[in-house]
Amino acid sequence: MEMTRIEFLRTVGLGISALIMPGQALAFPGLADPEKDIRGTVFRNDAPARPWKWSTEGAYYSTSGKLVQCGICPNRCLLKPGDRSVCRSRVNVDGRLYSLAYGNACSVHTDPVEKKPLFHFLPGSLIFSIASTGCNLRCLNCQNWEISQKKPDEVDHIELFPPDIVAEARKRKIPSIAYTYAEPVTFYEYTRDTSLIAREEGLLNVLVSNGYINEGPLRELCAVLDGANINLKSFSDRTYRTLNGGTLDPVLNTLRILAREGVWFEITTLVVPAYVDSPEMIKEMCGWIVRELGPDRPLHLLRFFPRYRLTRLPATPVETLEKLRETAMKEGVNHVYIGNVAGHPGANTYCPGCRKLLVERKGYLKGEFHINKGRCGFCGRQIPGRWVV
Amino acid sequence: MNSREYQALALVFLGVSSVTTQLLTIREFLSQFHGNEITVSLSIFTWLLLTGLGSLIAKPMRRASPGLLSLLLLLAALMPLTQIASIRFLRGIAFVHGLSPGFYPVFLFIIATTAPYCLLSGFIIPLVQIVSRSTGSLLESGTVYSLDSAGDIAGGLLFSFIIVYLLTPFKAVAATSTPLIVLAVKGLTRPGRVKFLILFMIPILGFYLFSLWPKLETETLMGQYGEVLSYGESPYGRIIVTREGDQKSIWGSGVPLYSDREVVNSEEKIHYALSQLDRVESVLLVSGGLGETLEEVFKYKPASVDYVELDPFVTGLGTDHGLIRKGSSANIINTDGRRHLKETEHRYDAVIFDLPEPDSFQLNRFYTSECMALVKKSLRGKGIFAMSVDYSPNYISRLERQKLSILVSTMKTHFDNVLILPGEKAYLLARDGELHEDIPSRISIKGISSSYVSAFFYGNVTGERIQAVNQAIDSVAPINRDFSPGLMRIVFADWFARYGSSPYIFLFVVLGLVTVYLIFLRREEYLLFSTGFVIMGAEMLVVFSFQVIYGYLYVQIGAIVTAFLAGLLPGALLGKSSWGRLASHKKLFISEAILMALLVLFLVWIGVYRIDLPPAVFLAYCVVFSGVCGFQFPVVAYLIGEDKGPLAGCLAADLWGAALGTLATGTVLIPLWGMEISAIVLITLKISSIILKALK
Ligand code: SF4
Repeated sequence: MEMTRIEFLRTVGLGISALIMPGQALAFPGLADPEKDIRGTVFRNDAPARPWKWSTEGAYYSTSGKLVQCGICPNRCLLKPGDRSVCRSRVNVDGRLYSLAYGNACSVHTDPVEKKPLFHFLPGSLIFSIASTGCNLRCLNCQNWEISQKKPDEVDHIELFPPDIVAEARKRKIPSIAYTYAEPVTFYEYTRDTSLIAREEGLLNVLVSNGYINEGPLRELCAVLDGANINLKSFSDRTYRTLNGGTLDPVLNTLRILAREGVWFEITTLVVPAYVDSPEMIKEMCGWIVRELGPDRPLHLLRFFPRYRLTRLPATPVETLEKLRETAMKEGVNHVYIGNVAGHPGANTYCPGCRKLLVERKGYLKGEFHINKGRCGFCGRQIPGRWVV
Repeated sequence: MNSREYQALALVFLGVSSVTTQLLTIREFLSQFHGNEITVSLSIFTWLLLTGLGSLIAKPMRRASPGLLSLLLLLAALMPLTQIASIRFLRGIAFVHGLSPGFYPVFLFIIATTAPYCLLSGFIIPLVQIVSRSTGSLLESGTVYSLDSAGDIAGGLLFSFIIVYLLTPFKAVAATSTPLIVLAVKGLTRPGRVKFLILFMIPILGFYLFSLWPKLETETLMGQYGEVLSYGESPYGRIIVTREGDQKSIWGSGVPLYSDREVVNSEEKIHYALSQLDRVESVLLVSGGLGETLEEVFKYKPASVDYVELDPFVTGLGTDHGLIRKGSSANIINTDGRRHLKETEHRYDAVIFDLPEPDSFQLNRFYTSECMALVKKSLRGKGIFAMSVDYSPNYISRLERQKLSILVSTMKTHFDNVLILPGEKAYLLARDGELHEDIPSRISIKGISSSYVSAFFYGNVTGERIQAVNQAIDSVAPINRDFSPGLMRIVFADWFARYGSSPYIFLFVVLGLVTVYLIFLRREEYLLFSTGFVIMGAEMLVVFSFQVIYGYLYVQIGAIVTAFLAGLLPGALLGKSSWGRLASHKKLFISEAILMALLVLFLVWIGVYRIDLPPAVFLAYCVVFSGVCGFQFPVVAYLIGEDKGPLAGCLAADLWGAALGTLATGTVLIPLWGMEISAIVLITLKISSIILKALK
């Protein structure tokens, strides 16, 4: 394997340190492993004595005596009585698994649907967005760490049980509900039950998620989902472990299942400099998308800005995003968007057939719009997505 | 050169080299990690603690050869370079690239990378005395202390007024290690040792090659920064311009300050403030004038724009690399923003701060009621004041609510109306006139175009979100003041929360160790321990007060810090005069009383009068304070008795007291209880040492 100049310098430096100051070189032996893995661990003896008002018995868990194992996500937390899960919102109380995030929303907002981002889903509409606490990953650049990396009792919440959410969305005359901000997979029961009522009431359900979920619970959820944005954080298992504390395969599996189940979804990838900006990786990723999910799956490439603990990286160069967009389109992905760059034409939708501008986006303001009944207003080509309720 | 002269020079040269290495290492840590008051205090604490430990290791030694001393001197001369290089290399190995690590990993990293050098340099000081005893010309403890102090003062002066302006870290190390290398080589060059000398020449040559090879120093930064276009070490930190493809980024002490096309921050900070005004004649921007910012300001066609940036390297390199638009008619002023506000006669329509979070005393000064009074004074009529703090748009955490509440309370002491706009950051606007929420319509009326605000505001900064954040404010929150910086405590707590850690484990361990140490401490040593604590505590209080009055200007702060060293030597020389035991006890009491009086004087000044004192008064105060501290060391050593080998124990007590004083004052006392209580704690500590002494 070819060594980069920086790797060479690192090795030489380490060697010199080891020779002159062995103490320094030996200070972090375990950390010298390039496969740093920041996956979360179970919080032992951290559960409350009994469930609180905003609890419900967990779905998809198995027991062995008083030991419980959650089956919602690939972490498959094995909890002894009194333990709290990796995602912080599920606990073993006396041999039963409870979610502590049920009916206690900590973020409630009305957003433009484009903010999720969803560009092929009721463009220009608003979406009622809710979150409870918890996340099964540990992303170093999390935007919402104040809720995703907190226990339910550590945050202020609003009491909103599933029927209340649906009622509120209807009151505001909003056509859809997003389960978002933190990680809805970890408040699975809350998401599922709300979605069921919303579906009955004629509202649409959107999952904004990292896609780190097991097949069973996902398939059940698919039955009530109308849209999703799945964050494919990179196409490298190593990067997933280093930056996000997860693994790649389960996310790919989620994308396959969503496609098979016919849920409309779009993919988001945050282009983190030095980690997720290699053209080769994006090429490989897009090849996979086209092969497994088809060419019509929209891909959002977002510009990274320093956040949370990952504050010593520069913003992604716009030029890099443009090049990666080109790479993705060359690989056959028809709709590749550039995000987090105000005023960039890469946020518009173009017809893959005639190349004409179909949807002009000025931020959240809609400009030109040339899609009629899901087809290009110029050449008639079908444009994938859910364009009307 | 006789052996006594050799040993004396060894102490002075080691002092010069170790002080420079300490300052370079702390700067390096600040460039590698988050440079808040906690990490600064932690670096100094660790350094002093380990150096003290190094001294203590030498305590049981009775004999040592001059050859060993020379060998260790050579090692101490070469190690600073590997230490700084190792910090750079090991950071990339120990931590994920781009990560700002939390408190405990930073602490462990600092210990691991500085321990070898600190232990060695701490060990050498008493070793010199042991060697002098072995060679039959005993250097008394007071003499050793005086010589070491002389080296420290020379190192401090050299660094603060020459090195920091002229040399990069590697070259600075080469310069300050050279006298030590020459001395060590001289010590090792004895007849019959020529073969060994060749062996020593290899690392020495390697040292110079590595430290002076022009490109190598920049290469060692590439792991952290990537392609470095320009690199400068300013007195205020490390300023670097990098290139990532077509994009250029400018970094200050390891943090990206700006990358091309970061329009969101530029537009939000300018339009939220300026769109409130009917006419914009004159604007003051305190920091943050990079990139698109000035262009956005000029859209309002102001007659004058003053852009104040403390560090000339930021504006210089920014202009050279097009990160500040050439030809912009903004008037760039390189000075401290608060000093400018105090001194300017100009009246502005808008004063806009774009500063990092108030996580150090230097930055907190901009978030206080006293500073806002200066802003108010500099504003014309119903002019606008705007500042911003970090904020999570989707959820207002308890700490964020407290932070915003304190700021709103503080602003309301000077302005009729305060409004928070929850953008990518929380933008706080304050004005005696009306404040408008609908920014896009305001700028559209003025015919101003924007790419972010016009297009994204209604989706991101919704009426619902504006209402939520403004309603979350606690109307009875305390006011943030210069001498009672409550806001810093919140920012510290937020920093710990980010890493899911708590400082309490650390504090309990330190307290436990201190208790054990105090049990075994001699009463005389406790006096030095408390004096070490008090001198560092007082230094922080004085530097902080000085900044409040005069602003943070490197030369002046450097002068204050040096003045705190400068008194040590004359004080120690005075203390070395032999008066006999009884007189020594008396003089020690008097010195304690003077220290108490000096602290009381300070307390009265900050608590009651708070008048602006001329800089000369500060300098004189510092010299007298350190003089008294310097005086005590030889007297205590004399009272313990040279036959008992007091040097190592005294040095450790002095250094550990200083370590604890730095940590306690900077991270606990001032942020939690303010300056007055901190001064009272220091006074109490001195009372305790007087009582203990009197009991004997
Ligand atoms: S959802 Fe939470 S409890 Fe269940 S396996 Fe995943 S991390 Fe563990």
